Amino acid sequence: MSWGTLVQRFFGTKGSKDEAKGRLQVVLAYDRLGLSFEQMEALRKDIMEAIGRHVSIDADRVKIDFLHQQNPAEMVINAPVRRARPPADEPKQSLD
Amino acid sequence: MSGRAIVVTSGKGGVGKTTATANLGLGLAKCDYKVALMDADIGLRNLDIIMGLENRIVYHVVDVVRGRCQLRQALVKDKRFPHLALLPASQVDQKESITPEQMKDLTTQLKEDFDFVLIDCPAGIEQGFRNAVAGADEAIVITTPDVSPVRDADRVIGLLQNALGEPQLIINRMSTDMVKRGDMLNQQDVLDILAVRLLGIVPEDEEVVIAGNRGSPVVLNENSRSGKAYERIVRRILGEEVPIPELNGHGSIMHRLGKLLFGR
Repeated sequence: MSWGTLVQRFFGTKGSKDEAKGRLQVVLAYDRLGLSFEQMEALRKDIMEAIGRHVSIDADRVKIDFLHQQNPAEMVINAPVRRARPPADEPKQSLD
Repeated sequence: MSGRAIVVTSGKGGVGKTTATANLGLGLAKCDYKVALMDADIGLRNLDIIMGLENRIVYHVVDVVRGRCQLRQALVKDKRFPHLALLPASQVDQKESITPEQMKDLTTQLKEDFDFVLIDCPAGIEQGFRNAVAGADEAIVITTPDVSPVRDADRVIGLLQNALGEPQLIINRMSTDMVKRGDMLNQQDVLDILAVRLLGIVPEDEEVVIAGNRGSPVVLNENSRSGKAYERIVRRILGEEVPIPELNGHGSIMHRLGKLLFGR
């Protein structure tokens, strides 16, 4: 048994299963909707552009999840908003 | 009489469909129910060898649909339980040798004489799967706590929901040690991902290999952990409320200290 395993055993640090769970949740979100990774990225880009026209958002922290507990599935967009865009802003201004 | 036809399926191969079908069938027969086991894996039959009935096959399911024999002639009676019978698959034909309509017809006939018809589904989601599901009233999905079987189980659950309604899940080959270490998805993780009703958990058990070697499934072995798990699943299928023992991933600090010092 390595020291790493010993330390992990004692402190109960995370094993590989959380990685498995996270990866499965992502891949199944795509599988269930029949979306490819590219389509998902395109959707994400369009959503951020649309929101970005009205409010300033933190692009790196935008999260898009699909909840399959209910039928039909629910899309949840979590976008941290910095501030509303001033009215003078051009509608097509790029994201921050 | 009209029995319940239950298909045992998984998507992924090698996760324990045939073993589960054999054990659930024998478990139900032990409770005095009349049970027919149907091997729907045409071309790759295995339920016969797992059950220890491989030397007693005369006719198979394709013979029945081609009219080469009567349905009752193809049924292999299990000497351990006279009210348990196997309808073997053909080893030489293709999945396409039978249509979903013919499967439905066969299942309907079997349901007249048996309380339970358990259908062992082939891996995959093609014709063999469609055949196996065609005559079923309910479905049991088997997975192991690994990424690819869980992903495939999700796909199959989606297909079943359209055809048969909500399936029930068996998680097979769960290792208490790996779950405790955090290196295996636990029961709650799998349920979070798949969102279906849990029918039971079968622990990893060397006895399953030995049972396969001998053609005597674990549910017949009083001392096997997995056999006991199958017995509990059988009682749940019969409508009894039997709690599912949880394999918990979080040991106490004393437990961890003990594990650190003494290994186990």
